[in-house]
Amino acid sequence: MFRLNENRCMYCGSCVGVCPQLALVLDEVKIRHDAKRCIECGICMRACPLSAITVKKE
Amino acid sequence: MRTYDIAVVGAGPAGSSAARVAAEAGAKVILIERKKEIGNPVRCGEGIGKHWLDEIGLKVPPRAICAELNGAILFGPNMKSIKIKTDETKGYVLDRNVFDRELAIDAARVGAEILVKAQVVDIEGNTLKVAHMGEKNEIKASVIIAADGGESVIARKVGINSTATLYDTDFGVEYEMANVECTDLIEIYFGRSVAPRGYVWVFPKGKDVANVGVGIGGLEQPNAISYLEKFIKGHPDRFKDAQPVAVKAGVIPVGAPLETFVKGNVMVVGTAAHQVDPIHGGGICLAIDAGLMAGKVAAKCINEKKVSESSLKEYEKIWRSKRESKHMKRLALRKAVEKLDDDDFNVIFSSLDENDLDLLLKGNYAPVVQKVLLRRPQLLKILSPLSQYGAGELIKAFKDW
Repeated sequence: MFRLNENRCMYCGSCVGVCPQLALVLDEVKIRHDAKRCIECGICMRACPLSAITVKKE
Repeated sequence: MRTYDIAVVGAGPAGSSAARVAAEAGAKVILIERKKEIGNPVRCGEGIGKHWLDEIGLKVPPRAICAELNGAILFGPNMKSIKIKTDETKGYVLDRNVFDRELAIDAARVGAEILVKAQVVDIEGNTLKVAHMGEKNEIKASVIIAADGGESVIARKVGINSTATLYDTDFGVEYEMANVECTDLIEIYFGRSVAPRGYVWVFPKGKDVANVGVGIGGLEQPNAISYLEKFIKGHPDRFKDAQPVAVKAGVIPVGAPLETFVKGNVMVVGTAAHQVDPIHGGGICLAIDAGLMAGKVAAKCINEKKVSESSLKEYEKIWRSKRESKHMKRLALRKAVEKLDDDDFNVIFSSLDENDLDLLLKGNYAPVVQKVLLRRPQLLKILSPLSQYGAGELIKAFKDW
């Protein structure tokens, strides 16, 4: 389960570049997450400089 | 459907430079920017070394200069410091918001068309699917230059493996802060406890305004913001009146450049191509340099009606012959320095002074290395992987900021 705290997110794109699944896309002021592609590996959570992402394996 | 010779995706320093130089050479160019304002939000420490300006022929617009720098002061975890004032450490702190926009304006002046608030949704061969102000458009171009930054997806969509690994990526966060007293030196703070695999920076943007930021290695925990908060709290005298006026974050590839920069009709430049300095994570000038190379080659291929993967690869050849060897040496240095713990840093900072650093930078490294190793022989293990390179080469690669 991928959760983004949009109040902390600054759309820096850190999570996008490290996602091995291309499951994240950076829109102007929004990170779009594709749950179908996501494998819940948690790399985005470790990358986020602002601790805005949590990923829990279902 | 609109048709162009060259479509550049991303109006950062690499993209705008590529667009300008290609348009100057007569190509029909469109520059596509995801954001509604070029340059905003800033994701950068905004420092730039003066020695670069001659090297890449860049004139910094005076409007974009916030502060002039005359050197650097480096701190160990024990707060012992070393000042460096060499030609290589002279520089500016920019307003990237203004700087990036000026570069795009320069591209427009020579005929590049620009779209803002235009998201490239997909790429199929020569066609980019673009959502511009909410409307779907198709843009066809003979050459596509992907200057879409650390979050680049174009390279991956055309089959270039550009996924950043956590190990070879730093993540940064920065406050622009008021009421921080500044000099004409940038301040860099080292130590695993301060910023594991990275550093804290204080870059003066004025006499009492500074970018205070941290970059840490991707495998480090907790996240970058925790280290920044800890640093600020840990220096109450310095930051007691400091107030943030902006917060910025970003991703910094610090590994090797991509294995290939060109696939089909797509050329990847700048941060998207991981053309970022592995030691300090700076990439403005490297991006401009690569953008200029790619833009020139693309325009030449258009003008000669010879667009193909092999003709566009000329850009990659130029880049690799000019930059790769130094990049890889600096990567080796990064991989050595990242192994240092706080005690190592403390010994280094208490053993060395400005004269030693001066000696080192002039190539007279033996007495300096000896001095440190005598006090901390275990550093030999960290330094030994570097022995495949000549010391002179390494110092040369290390000197430039």
